[in-house]
Amino acid sequence: MDSQCVSTLPRVCGVLLESGSSLPDDTSLEKLLDWFTTIAQTGASLLEACPCLVDFVSKVAFNHASGSSILSFTLKLTGLIGTSEDGFKVLKECSVLKLVFNPHHWQEAGLWGDPCLRIGWIQGLKMILQHSEALSFFAQEDLIEPLLQLQTDSSLFVASAANQTLAQVLLLCQSLSSVGHNCSKNRYLEHNSVSIETTQNYSGIITRVSEYLNKSVVLKEISQLPGCQQILRLLAMLLVQVGPPLRDTLLLAVMNSLEELVTTSCSQLTVPLMDVILAANSGLRDDFVPKQRLIRLLWVMLNMKKPAIVMQAAAAVLHSHHSDPTFSAHSARVLLLPLDIVTGVSLLDENSTEEELRILITEQLKRKSCISMICVCLSNIPQITLMASDHLPCPQRLIVTAVLMLLRLCCVDSSSSSAGCVEVVRFITGNSKVQKCALEALLVLSKSPGVKMVLVDVFKVLTEYLNSPSSDPSVLQKSYQAVIKWVGVCPDLSCITDQLREGFIQAVRKRACDTRWEARDSTVEFLGHLGGAPSCRSFTEQETEPSDVFLGGCSFTVPLLKEALQDPESYVRASSISALAQTLTPSWQEGAALTQEQEDIVTRLQEVLFQDSEGFARRAAVKYFIAWLSACSSPSSCWLLMQSVPTVLSQGVNDLDWEVKLHTLELAELLLDQAFPDPSPSHPYAVMSDQAHRLHIAGHPDSRCC
Amino acid sequence: MKLYCLSGHPTLPCNVLKFKSTTIMLDCGLDTTSVLNFLPLPLVHSPRLSKLPGWISKDGSINLEKRELLDLSTIDVILISNYHCMMALPYITEHTGFTGTVYATEPTLQIGRLLMEELVNFMERVPKAQSATCWKNKEIQRMLPGPLKDAVDVWTWKRCYSMQEVNSALSKVQLVGYSQKVELFGAVQVSPLSSGYSLGSSNWIIQSHHEKVSYVSGSSLLTTHPQPMDQSSLKNSDVLILTGLTQMPTANPDGMLGEFCSNLAMTIRAGGNVLVPCYSSGVIYDLLECLYQFIESANLGTTPFYFISPVANSSLEFSQIFAEWLCHNKQTKVYLPEPPFPHAELIQTNKLKHYPSIHGDFSSEFRQPCVVFTGHPSLRFGDVVHFMELWGKSSLNTVIFTEPDFSYLDALAPYQPLAMKCVYCPIDTRLNFHQVSKLLKEVQPLHVVCPEQYTQPPLTQSHRSDLMLELQPPPMPYRRCSVLNLPFRRRYERVYILPELANSLVPSEVKPGVSVATVSAVLQSKDNKHTLQSVPKAPPVAPSKKRKRVMEEPPVTMAPKPLLSGAVPLEAFLATLQKHGITEVKVEETADGHILHLQAEDTLIQLEEDGTHIVCDNNEPLRATLRDLVLRFLQKL
Repeated sequence: MDSQCVSTLPRVCGVLLESGSSLPDDTSLEKLLDWFTTIAQTGASLLEACPCLVDFVSKVAFNHASGSSILSFTLKLTGLIGTSEDGFKVLKECSVLKLVFNPHHWQEAGLWGDPCLRIGWIQGLKMILQHSEALSFFAQEDLIEPLLQLQTDSSLFVASAANQTLAQVLLLCQSLSSVGHNCSKNRYLEHNSVSIETTQNYSGIITRVSEYLNKSVVLKEISQLPGCQQILRLLAMLLVQVGPPLRDTLLLAVMNSLEELVTTSCSQLTVPLMDVILAANSGLRDDFVPKQRLIRLLWVMLNMKKPAIVMQAAAAVLHSHHSDPTFSAHSARVLLLPLDIVTGVSLLDENSTEEELRILITEQLKRKSCISMICVCLSNIPQITLMASDHLPCPQRLIVTAVLMLLRLCCVDSSSSSAGCVEVVRFITGNSKVQKCALEALLVLSKSPGVKMVLVDVFKVLTEYLNSPSSDPSVLQKSYQAVIKWVGVCPDLSCITDQLREGFIQAVRKRACDTRWEARDSTVEFLGHLGGAPSCRSFTEQETEPSDVFLGGCSFTVPLLKEALQDPESYVRASSISALAQTLTPSWQEGAALTQEQEDIVTRLQEVLFQDSEGFARRAAVKYFIAWLSACSSPSSCWLLMQSVPTVLSQGVNDLDWEVKLHTLELAELLLDQAFPDPSPSHPYAVMSDQAHRLHIAGHPDSRCC
Repeated sequence: MKLYCLSGHPTLPCNVLKFKSTTIMLDCGLDTTSVLNFLPLPLVHSPRLSKLPGWISKDGSINLEKRELLDLSTIDVILISNYHCMMALPYITEHTGFTGTVYATEPTLQIGRLLMEELVNFMERVPKAQSATCWKNKEIQRMLPGPLKDAVDVWTWKRCYSMQEVNSALSKVQLVGYSQKVELFGAVQVSPLSSGYSLGSSNWIIQSHHEKVSYVSGSSLLTTHPQPMDQSSLKNSDVLILTGLTQMPTANPDGMLGEFCSNLAMTIRAGGNVLVPCYSSGVIYDLLECLYQFIESANLGTTPFYFISPVANSSLEFSQIFAEWLCHNKQTKVYLPEPPFPHAELIQTNKLKHYPSIHGDFSSEFRQPCVVFTGHPSLRFGDVVHFMELWGKSSLNTVIFTEPDFSYLDALAPYQPLAMKCVYCPIDTRLNFHQVSKLLKEVQPLHVVCPEQYTQPPLTQSHRSDLMLELQPPPMPYRRCSVLNLPFRRRYERVYILPELANSLVPSEVKPGVSVATVSAVLQSKDNKHTLQSVPKAPPVAPSKKRKRVMEEPPVTMAPKPLLSGAVPLEAFLATLQKHGITEVKVEETADGHILHLQAEDTLIQLEEDGTHIVCDNNEPLRATLRDLVLRFLQKL
């Protein structure tokens, strides 16, 4: 096929040259470029395979009549050709290279203003920057200036591509100069004269970049904010990517500016600034001078007078997995402060250094902005729990208690009052954002050591949420997830009293009849998950299913799920079918006798397959039979299964929904696997192993086109 | 301007506003919570209730509370805001000497009549063989057990009114439409505005030419069946009297409606019956509409819904004919034409059946499991008493309380021990604190008057500082029996000038755009309207030779003295003085102007912003000269 394509390529190029600006959709150009890339990646020379490309490129370059998408494509194509040194030489010889990558050329033609062209220029440039020849060209043509200008381009795509290209330039400089220093065997150094010249070029580039960064990391007026953010992101990226000598140079260049920037206390800069500081700080030698200055900067950020900045900085420290435990411990304390203040649960011991921050945060919590602050605190609890226990300001059990207290305060129906900040209650009561964050935190905290003591409290609060008329469906879903999680980690559920269980059952039963389908869906899903949860120990020290402990087992669950099969919402029907499969799996595995209920379910599922207008329910129905067939210890002895599978197969393959078809095929495959457990080479369908089958498909290039 | 507060119940208000010589009663809600002190009135003989020691079941006369603070016969008009706030009307209009008019919208009158009729019916169909009143004596009451002993002011509790009194009271109602302006004695104008709470519910604007008082009672911003609330007309009020906020500030009506539906479905699925004690109008329309949509999704298609009330039929039908009072969506249905409420379809398809009482057709058609809507929400009278007795013993059944007026635990007290499940889903669509603070921010009244309950968080949730009104300046709280002096003074009054008098005026411009003229006229005040008329010319006195006493002579109409305006410029005045030979002038600057001391003449001239004084002893010619000099600088009108 490739040869056919190659033979038609000159004509394609001809069409492209003549198309002018009349190409509305550049998808075809992207596809063409993809094809060229594939050819280049196979190791073959692109110019040898498609010699007409040089001619095409030079024609486009000298003729401005083409549209911007074609020009952009040409720039990228030039880059692709120049990726290899041979291609680069050819381009250089026919003087296309100089012209194509000369921004003045495009500026004079009035085309530089088009972001499409600029991105083509950057990407083309990035592609050629693979070898010393290209770097020399880059330096000689002084392309660093236009590249630096594009770092804060008005188009985000252009700016981001420019950032990456700059990183590429520096990485290339670094790799080439390290080669030069080590004087190891390398083809770049075969020509000594070039090497000296290039090394000078490198240092010139690096100096220019350092100057640029130093000049750009400033915030004198608010209009500079977007540019400053962009430069900080670039700086963080560079500091992560480049190695020690170059990184130290860059860092020394911007250190003063960074220190000045920190003093502006601009909250929009906190995150990018912290990224830079943390990127710079990781892996620095202790004796390196800027290290001490960086550590001082970190402390400054963590002790700002603005609580929002301090919280964000602390969160950044925890997310960066900073090696210094002093910082992590301090950050954890900062992040836990709002929780401590709101709930009145003393998570932190008296510490005079935090007293000022405590006052500032308390003031902040009396305003509506407290929501975001509490959410930052809660969403960082997972990071806090990952810390070593000796660095934690309090036992994790206390954090659980505080989160539970917060959940109680957020619940509309609860009359709990906290010993903490009273003013905050008006903002957080009924706020589903805080509720969700707190439930997320509770989910994570289930793994904490020693939480068995609060298990009953956890279930009480979760039941309260499941019961509350004001709970948002997404809050209900999170509550259910938390129940599952806590059930999963607590091997002993003997502390669940009858009263608690009764309250829980009532709540679940009520939610199964909720007017909002999302709530019904989450309930049904929960029942399925609970049915599939691992066994636990109960009152009598016997292995029991959690669904038995909570809901009294299948006798409660199955009728509820059966009702849900009639739900008007297809998602709920689908979820109830999946949940039934999960709930019944244990009895299938045990080979328990069929009940009338199961027969009813099968009848209903067949109705779903035949009549349901929505694909979700039909897909779930086929999957139900897959689950049954795979769980059943001896399928052939289960008459109902054997009787229904043929109907499912015949109905499923005729379904218009391709996913239903796919699942039907899976069912058929499973059936075949079970029918022929030992593949016999003589059987025509059993010859191919799964692997062979896939290879067969992959080997046929046309098979994907069918 | 004064406000007399006759009710301490914030959602059943009864206030009297005295404004510009009119006495206006704003609502007359009836607080019936005192019925909770009585035993239920069973429709069918209840062995359980009759066996209670020391009580005869038929002795439960229902008494209602009303307290008087001022002479009700002086009330000129009563403005009703919604049908729940007019239930005490017969107590006020009958036997008090009341001779005024009651203003209400048509749905308010009709549905209010239904509710009163139902109440009377509930009472009268269980005739009392005897009634006991001696226990109201303080000495005896003190010996009664439990909460009865502590009930306050039992002597003010009254017997329920009769149908005759209801009819007589309602005959005094005059119907008004939204935004219709009604003149009261030429002094003030009242006008009802849609309040969005119930069919025909209104807020009222009471205004004179220069003052505006807004009365906000039960209002709602939720999209339910009534016409949406008119907020913009409340702007620029001097005083806004705010009552009737939600009684359930923490219960979101949407959440409660969902809760109601899911509990109902859960019970029916388990084979139980659902009892909904409710009023026969209002939220029930929304409940039925919500159920109409929910029946299919919850697979309740075959479950019968019963609505039992002496006025069930009228209530359901009335709701369909007041199209102009409904929200836009429902109004447009009428033009299709379709019934605005979907309960018509429920009735058509036999899913909803209504009966006047449990006797008659209902007893033969009754099928279980079912859902029954019936009154009274207090569980002390009405058909609900029967169902409580019938279903109370089974845990399969559920009673769902949707009306927020009564504490459900108190209502259930006489039925304990109770096996049936109890669910409390109070649905109160009235404004909550968040909505009201937004509303007040928008309409910006100068002063807000509200029940004292709104100025502090509820007792049970003292930490919720958001469940109260926080305003600047703080609202003026009132409690029962308060008399408030409303904090603004009337400063202007409109006066008309007759054309011929106006013609005779000679205005002179004092500054660009402002002209002044002096008027001599006779002020006539009649029906709170003030008119300036020309002074009648004295009839020519016939020459008489008869000597008359001086006193009897008609007063000689003197031409009025001219009015002076302008300011005396100091420098120019000093120059003038000098011209007239007064040279020794010592000028002293004061806070208000200047004092000129004419030393040689020993005379003082005080030039101030609003007056000029010449202090000059025993030298009349000098005083006159100085006066004339001052007058040169002033303008005469």
